[in-house]
Amino acid sequence: MQENYLAKWLANELTEEELELFKKSPEYESYVKLKKASASLKAPDFDSSRVLRAVEARKDKKETKVISIAKHPKLYRYAAAIVILVATSYFYISTLDDKVSTQYAEREQVVLPDQSEIILNADSEISYSKKDWSRKRKIALEGEAFFKVAKGKKFTVHTSQGQVAVLGTQFNVENRKDFFEVSCYEGLVQVSYKGEKIELPAGSSLVVINGSITHTEVPKNASPSWLLNESTFKSIPLLYVLDELERQYDLEISTQNIDLNQAFTGSFSNTSLNLALQSISTPYQIAYSLEGNKVLFYAESATK
Amino acid sequence: MDNVCEDEVFSNLFSTHSKTVYNYIYYKFGNEEKAYDAVQEAFIKLWENCAKVIPEKAKSYVYTVANNLYLNVIKAEKVRLKYAKPTYEISHESPEFLLEEKEYQAKLDAALNRLPESQRATFLLNRIDGKKYAEIAEMEGVSVKAIEKRMHLALKSLREEIHGI
Repeated sequence: MQENYLAKWLANELTEEELELFKKSPEYESYVKLKKASASLKAPDFDSSRVLRAVEARKDKKETKVISIAKHPKLYRYAAAIVILVATSYFYISTLDDKVSTQYAEREQVVLPDQSEIILNADSEISYSKKDWSRKRKIALEGEAFFKVAKGKKFTVHTSQGQVAVLGTQFNVENRKDFFEVSCYEGLVQVSYKGEKIELPAGSSLVVINGSITHTEVPKNASPSWLLNESTFKSIPLLYVLDELERQYDLEISTQNIDLNQAFTGSFSNTSLNLALQSISTPYQIAYSLEGNKVLFYAESATK
Repeated sequence: MDNVCEDEVFSNLFSTHSKTVYNYIYYKFGNEEKAYDAVQEAFIKLWENCAKVIPEKAKSYVYTVANNLYLNVIKAEKVRLKYAKPTYEISHESPEFLLEEKEYQAKLDAALNRLPESQRATFLLNRIDGKKYAEIAEMEGVSVKAIEKRMHLALKSLREEIHGI
């Protein structure tokens, strides 16, 4: 008889031969009785609503932390302004079937059913549910957008890299490849990144590049510079600056002998390409050539 | 993309597993209040860590949290179980048969209470909750073979206790 045959027998896993053998054993009948009797056993009643109430109470307590600050009169007037930028990896929530997207060099303004406004920067997409908007204010974002949120229930932006939650606020979220940025201009927002909850008050910004988090400052009571046709960066690797330039002008950028990890601080125009190219090339003392929509940045010393 | 932080995913997990978590702790320690506390604690912890726990792991996560709560802390009390009423008409059975049944049940109760906690939990999760050995192994974080061993030993000792061998 195989090891643990009683367990096998109870689970009907004995072979026919083994079962026959077991049936002939003197203790077989007593095990049958035990099987039958234990089948009619019952556990004490369980009142799941009692536990659920306790769990819900704790859940709510956690969430009110954000609400209470947002209810501060001064903050409540406007709420927050954040910018979030995240990777191009696709993020999707099954119920959100109304979509708005922009191509390279495009921008789009969306007014939601509750008069909240979203401005989408180039190469970005939002999805949400128009139908369920009054019940759940939830937006999935890929790319970059600025949010002006009307007062009301919790408003969340879901991205592939983190979640941003806010109450009656204005904020901007940017979600691009390996890059996630949330800037809060007014009010207070809560960012959930990899299980960590980080609160961003007005005037602060959170940048995550390849998983490492840095905090920087942004001007209070302002709006992201791209709304004024300028892209601004503070100690951001050149690689992401050039990505943004490509998106704003629908370009194909290549580089030669240039360290793409060096940090860029400054801004470029989103309306004049030549000005923009100079804004990037001059501080680094590099050259560029422009043909059609192809741009090459190269180190001057390396070419001749 | 399922996430435990989604209300819907969380309530599904709650409705699927809360009763079994409760039973599991009750079978081990025989205390209903402590079983309630354990379920509550397990699901609050799950909610607080919802971003870190993937849905596939949520099940073993709640069992582990519930189990760890009382690890080596409390002594098991008497486990009291009920017996389902037999489906046949009771009056058709002879008084001797009914008396025998009652005696047998009392012996089974006593024998169950004498089992080590882990064997009792395994035996009852299978007999009452209909959990397969593989599922119990996942809850307990041990191999299926270890669960089969517990089951085998539980059956053996129960029979020996009941028949006074």
